[in-house]
Amino acid sequence: MSIKAQTLIEVSEISKSYGDREAVKNLSFSVAEGTVLGLLGANGAGKTTIVNMLTTLTSIDTGHASICGYDVSSQPYEIRQLIGLAGQFAAIDEKLTARENLKLFGRLNKISGRNLNARIDDLLQRFRMADFADQIAGTCSGGQRRRLDVVSALIAKPATLFLDEPTTGLDPRSRADIWEVIEDLADEGTSVLLTTQYLHEADRLADEIVLIDHGMIVASGTPDELKRELNRDVLEIHLDSDVAFRSAVRLVNDQPDIGTDENAMTIRIPLSNGAVGSLALLRRLDDAGVTIRDFQVRRPTLDDVFLAFTDA
Amino acid sequence: MAGKMNSSTTIDRLDAPQVISPNVLTHLKWAMQDTVTITWRDMVRTVRQPEMLMFAVIMGVVFLLLFNYVFGGVIGAGAGVNYIQYVVPGVLVITALNGAQQTGTGLASDLSEGVTNRFMSLPMSQVAVIAGRTIADSIRNILGLLLVVLIGVLMGFRFESFSSAVLTVLLPVGIGYAFSWLGAALAARLRNPETLGMLSMFWLFPLMLASSAFAPTESMPRWLQGFAEYQPISTATNAARAWSDGSPARTDSLLTLAWVAGILAVCVPLSMHLYRKST
Repeated sequence: MSIKAQTLIEVSEISKSYGDREAVKNLSFSVAEGTVLGLLGANGAGKTTIVNMLTTLTSIDTGHASICGYDVSSQPYEIRQLIGLAGQFAAIDEKLTARENLKLFGRLNKISGRNLNARIDDLLQRFRMADFADQIAGTCSGGQRRRLDVVSALIAKPATLFLDEPTTGLDPRSRADIWEVIEDLADEGTSVLLTTQYLHEADRLADEIVLIDHGMIVASGTPDELKRELNRDVLEIHLDSDVAFRSAVRLVNDQPDIGTDENAMTIRIPLSNGAVGSLALLRRLDDAGVTIRDFQVRRPTLDDVFLAFTDA
Repeated sequence: MAGKMNSSTTIDRLDAPQVISPNVLTHLKWAMQDTVTITWRDMVRTVRQPEMLMFAVIMGVVFLLLFNYVFGGVIGAGAGVNYIQYVVPGVLVITALNGAQQTGTGLASDLSEGVTNRFMSLPMSQVAVIAGRTIADSIRNILGLLLVVLIGVLMGFRFESFSSAVLTVLLPVGIGYAFSWLGAALAARLRNPETLGMLSMFWLFPLMLASSAFAPTESMPRWLQGFAEYQPISTATNAARAWSDGSPARTDSLLTLAWVAGILAVCVPLSMHLYRKST
């Protein structure tokens, strides 16, 4: 970790439209050296567009972005020496082995010979890939392929790593695996810009979160700040039948920002007057004869923040 | 990451984290280096999928057997030639063109997967992504054509000399190389391997049959003759045929080279333009 936290990525009022659709509107944020920034948003919120612009894959319509002081729009070749990108779809060659993939991307990054081989051996070992290093990538498991994808982005020791939904579509075990990789990198001081639609992922990995909705920033801060900003508790009620669930939803529907989960038969109600408000609502359900299996009053999670700030 | 250097003596990007601003020379160097790397990648893929080579060869051999034994008697007698000697150069051109189709399908499947995005985010030459593939496909084409020649020789085909043999193989490979770039341009536009495969049926078959590859163009109606005589499959076939039996090959060779140069002049910049726009 460096002593002074330098700004690595500086994004100032960037916008991008595709035809009539404004994918990103006047977005500004910055990423300090050695931190993980989580771009959090639902599908179609504009996360991938932001990553594509910052990694020179898509042009920026208006506004400026820089990485390590280099301008993203006018100095693409300099930028490409500073970044590593792992996208939503594993960007590896399925017909090559894991080691050959690393060799391919290493050479294209202008690393060669003994240096490259040493780097590859180091990465294979450090990220526990030795057991599938010489297996054709297409025959590896989804989790192994994604790990190879992320590690491929690291081959040239990039100053900034862009990870676009690195755990989408992975089983929980592989997801935990990728999280560990990202945490290791952050501990080593690599700056990471991570996009995700999983709140617990952002909560666990990100130092700073930027919440995106319809191409705009709706909230930003550390996970704790965002949760504090809500400044209200959440009453969570669990029902044990569909009938009870439906009548309960009907009874509390007057509350703002309620969240319902039909499969889990759970209702979430944000309350500014925690305990007192909870009592009133629970009494209302009890009076109507709705059987409550369980309830709890808790501090808000990022899920609640997300629901409060977006119109999802 | 600045300041994290190790003490190795070779200088490359791992030791020297400073960013370089590439000039024209750097770009040229990258283009060559990266073309070699991508060629290596596509060669490894070819070795892993020998069926890609085998399909092209088998198709060539099937054409050879089919045309020689089914139509050879009629066409050969009509044209007054030894048909196996006549048809091998034509089959070589068709096989090369067929092999060149794989440049487009390969690039299209790259484009439909995530790997192209990674290529575009690397400090590398983007031309190399296509150039490397066309070279790897040409190397595979040379191997395929040699196998077809071998079968042809077993069936009675003969070269005038060794140098004529080299040119008989290289001219079809050359026209195949040009068509690789045409396929790349179509792939960068369409991005879908299946659509591309369908589309190539539409132009490859008519072009193949309305040519001198299997039968003399003299028997065709006048309106078709002009086209059939000067289209690239015919000029390449005529040139290869002339080289193989030692007759004057200069005009057809030059016409073929003109086709190669013309197709490349249009398709190299066009495919690069479409490829860059493809994200």
